[in-house]
Amino acid sequence: MFRAAIRSLLARKVRLILTGLAIVLGVGFMAGTFVLTDTMTRAFNDLVDTGYAPIDVLVRSSNAFTAQTSSLEERDPMPESVLKDVDAVPGVAKANGDVVGYAQIVDPKTGKAIGTFGPPTAASGWYQGNGFTLRPGGSPPQGPDQTVIDAASAKTHDIAVGDRVQILFEGPPREFEVVGLAGFGDSDSLFGATWAMFDLATAQDVLGKQGKLDTISVVAEPGVSAVALQRSISEVLPKGVEAVTQATVVSEAQDQISTGLGFLRTAFLVFAFVSLFVGAFIIFNTFAIILAQRTRELALFRALGASGRQVMTSVLVEAFVIGVVSSAIGVLAGIGIAILLKGALNATGFDIPASGTVILARTIVVSLIVGTLVTMIAAFVPARRAARVAPIEALREAQDRPGRSLRFRIVAGLVVLVLGVAPLLYGLFGTPSNGLQLVGLGVALTFVGVAMLTPLIARPVAAAIGLPVRLTGVPGKLGRENSMRNPRRTAATASALMIGLGLVVFVAVFGASAKASTTAVLERTLKADFILISPTLTGFSTSAAEDARAVPGVDTVSQVRQAEAKIEGGTAFVTGLDPGTFPVVSEVDAVQGRVEDLANPNSIAVFDDTARENDWTVGDTIPVEFPATGSTSLRVVAIYSENGLIGDYAISLDTFDVNVANVLDVFVLIKADEGSDVAAVQADLEKALSPYPNIEVDDQAGFRDRYATLISQVLNLISALLLFAVIIALFGVMNTLYLSIYERTRELGLLRAVGLTRRQTRSMVRWEAVIVSVMGALFGVVIGIAFGWALQQALEPEGFSELGIPGGQLAVYVLLAAILGVLFAIFPARRAAKLNVLEAISYE
Amino acid sequence: MSATNEMAPPDARTAVAARAFGLSKVYGEGDAAVRALDDVSVDFERARYTAIMGPSGSGKSTLLHCMAGLDTPTSGQVFIGDVDLTMLSEKALTLLRRRSVGFVFQAYNLVPTLTAAENITLPLDIAGDDPDGAWFDVVVDAVGIRDRLSHRPAELSGGQQQRVAGARALVTRPEIVFADEPTGNLDSRSGHEILEFLRSAVKDHGQTIVMVTHDASAASFADRIVFLGDGKVVDEMLEPTTERILDRLKSLEG
Repeated sequence: MFRAAIRSLLARKVRLILTGLAIVLGVGFMAGTFVLTDTMTRAFNDLVDTGYAPIDVLVRSSNAFTAQTSSLEERDPMPESVLKDVDAVPGVAKANGDVVGYAQIVDPKTGKAIGTFGPPTAASGWYQGNGFTLRPGGSPPQGPDQTVIDAASAKTHDIAVGDRVQILFEGPPREFEVVGLAGFGDSDSLFGATWAMFDLATAQDVLGKQGKLDTISVVAEPGVSAVALQRSISEVLPKGVEAVTQATVVSEAQDQISTGLGFLRTAFLVFAFVSLFVGAFIIFNTFAIILAQRTRELALFRALGASGRQVMTSVLVEAFVIGVVSSAIGVLAGIGIAILLKGALNATGFDIPASGTVILARTIVVSLIVGTLVTMIAAFVPARRAARVAPIEALREAQDRPGRSLRFRIVAGLVVLVLGVAPLLYGLFGTPSNGLQLVGLGVALTFVGVAMLTPLIARPVAAAIGLPVRLTGVPGKLGRENSMRNPRRTAATASALMIGLGLVVFVAVFGASAKASTTAVLERTLKADFILISPTLTGFSTSAAEDARAVPGVDTVSQVRQAEAKIEGGTAFVTGLDPGTFPVVSEVDAVQGRVEDLANPNSIAVFDDTARENDWTVGDTIPVEFPATGSTSLRVVAIYSENGLIGDYAISLDTFDVNVANVLDVFVLIKADEGSDVAAVQADLEKALSPYPNIEVDDQAGFRDRYATLISQVLNLISALLLFAVIIALFGVMNTLYLSIYERTRELGLLRAVGLTRRQTRSMVRWEAVIVSVMGALFGVVIGIAFGWALQQALEPEGFSELGIPGGQLAVYVLLAAILGVLFAIFPARRAAKLNVLEAISYE
Repeated sequence: MSATNEMAPPDARTAVAARAFGLSKVYGEGDAAVRALDDVSVDFERARYTAIMGPSGSGKSTLLHCMAGLDTPTSGQVFIGDVDLTMLSEKALTLLRRRSVGFVFQAYNLVPTLTAAENITLPLDIAGDDPDGAWFDVVVDAVGIRDRLSHRPAELSGGQQQRVAGARALVTRPEIVFADEPTGNLDSRSGHEILEFLRSAVKDHGQTIVMVTHDASAASFADRIVFLGDGKVVDEMLEPTTERILDRLKSLEG
């Protein structure tokens, strides 16, 4: 029976390829993700190793914890005198002090600040052994006028040795001459970060750390171990300063890399699993159709004495072979996809070293196993159905066999649906620790449950969609009837599309809700006329606000800063604001206490939902842990109800500056004088801020649009990744149609014999494809809106107050599905039209 | 072809290879009920070639399907040897078909993706048994298909396909072979070849064959003909000839 299974596989190569394609794509995505993140991990780890290789011990300020979200290390600097003490320790061959801080290089050609989302922009001192290597043709910086910048920025923005560049800092911007370009190890930059280096005195000056140091790198004398040296250095260090070995620093860096890449990997794997999920639907459908077509053959086996179990096993063997072969091809495809993804990430600003591709055994094994398992699980139910073929059907004409009773399907479908909706809702609205997995499981099961129930409404829906089609003539009428004739088959095909499109619609609805909510918050709370903000949403120098104050027509300038902290054991964002000016530019709506009281030292204001969750009220003291300074107690002076702009926690700028090492404004709100010419004031502001190319002046409308655009960009990226799944689903539509042509050979022959032309035949197939695609799209829209609504409701406390349903966009999606359905039907339609009439009507 | 009988019947003493006892098959319910078989009792003797004839709707195919265990009767019993088919589980029925029953259908007898040789040994493969090389050769030469053994069904003519089916039916040396209109799709020469083969299987190897046919000249190859009409046995004929059969059919219809 093995032989029969393999033979039947090879007999229909086209079917085989179409069936396997779904798995190839899904596994490819998964394998590609693994290969990409493994390659990046190895490359980055190597880079870190090389970079820190020259030093043995690092001296730095200790921090309470490492903030995950700040680009630069949050540590307070230490006094310069520590360097002398360290240098004096026996066993120290060389000690170099260094400072590091925020800086952005301005592209001299465009006048825009260099820097994108993701990698940090920084400046530090230059010394031999800081990990950067000077490229030939340059020299180290000396004096207050010279700088060395990273080779990647120079290459991308066409900056050469000898050019002058402006550089922005926390303080006022300054101009320098570029005297050298440096790479980090083999790379042109450190993970895509832009970097400007100066001699130590200049660096201390521009970074506002005169007389201070952030780190001291120590090289040990030959024969002295790093561990021993670390111990002896620790003894001379003041409180709050620590010495760590190079090994510790390297492993910290590598941990951060693996955490960061871990997020990336999980994100991509989600999309890979979505693709595989859709692929499973395709496999299910394909096997169901193929087995239905082989009913007589299977019945013959049964008549000759094959048991049901033997038949089922042979089908599962076919599934196994398809699974293994497709997965293997998928792994190869995945490597190609990894190379593509790497290029995409490089384009968005990450600089991934061009090292070799890392293909771990884990990647191959997991891909093979997952791909094969998915195929076999998907083929399981059709295999069981095949096993139940009665021997007597060998004698009957091939017909659509009646399926299980309707009642069974309704009950089973409802059960699965409940099994899906329950974890989904719990994951969203409850607060479990593994929320993401629960939601994922819930979504998958919900899709399966809905897919089981859609055949119940497939016929009337197809009929309704097909009503206008009927009017186009006989082919349309036949196409519509074909789509209505086998609701299970039609629904199964549409289901794959429903999943792909459902997720795309969900993303669109969620994005529209995000946009609507943001707009609603801003409209409610924003009283400022202008907002200063950096396009990459990173912080900028606080001196910009000073310059803004000097502009005539400007009444109030209110600065806002943000930092990561730990409160009640969890990570939280604390906003720094000016209690005097902030209420002028924004609604705060204090429900208890007064926001103005933040001017009192060591005070904090809390969002009312958060306060309620933690049972806090005005007068309570809460411990807040900042990375640089550790834990400090702050007294609650106000509870407010509008957290759109400022989040859940707010402190005064003074308290902020004391506790945070890198002080940058994240936006500045400006109110113009009453009755002034708003346009003129804006122009004046822009002129005053021209030294800060990284800052833009938005009016209220511009600010709202900025966020809307940002959200759109993220959505587009996610939708593009989901497109994969949609394409797989469309291949499924093509597959189903193609297979059903074989099934209806006799009938098609009859139609052609009776007078249907080739063109009409093609048209009939295309109309059927349109109806099925539109049905899948409509189901997808409904379920996508449902999911979007659920998520919006769950996130309402986080500020998602509005549900947005982008009607126009959804209509476009449905239309697109119809058009793509037609496109994917071309191949089957031609097959149908090419049938030889005589052969067709005598087809057995 | 040797004259020795190399069969393993469950009970060599019974002269009856299969029998139906009070067999009824009803389709549908109430007013729409159709009695395809109405209390049919008939014996099929071992080492004999029996044909079942009758007009369409007489229940002849239904009788064959019930006898072969492919269909379940509404009431009554079916025996193959001493085994009551109506008492058997699905699994046991399957095993019975494997070992004890051979089939030749009117059409779609062969698995399209297997060669002729593989189709012939298919029931043995399913059972996991090795074919008896000597018997295989006997059967293959008897149907005269040796030169086409490596061909797929699509490469064989209708007659050749039926011959392969015939070889397959006998390769397991079953208790009984059921043939449902085996010559229905064939021209008269191919048809005669099949029928000759079936008859020689009975004469030379002691095989038992029960054949349904509507063709009088095909039926003339049998030792005995059972006539059905309206779900009942209406007549029998021994030592048939084509003319006598035609006469009888006419009178039955009249």
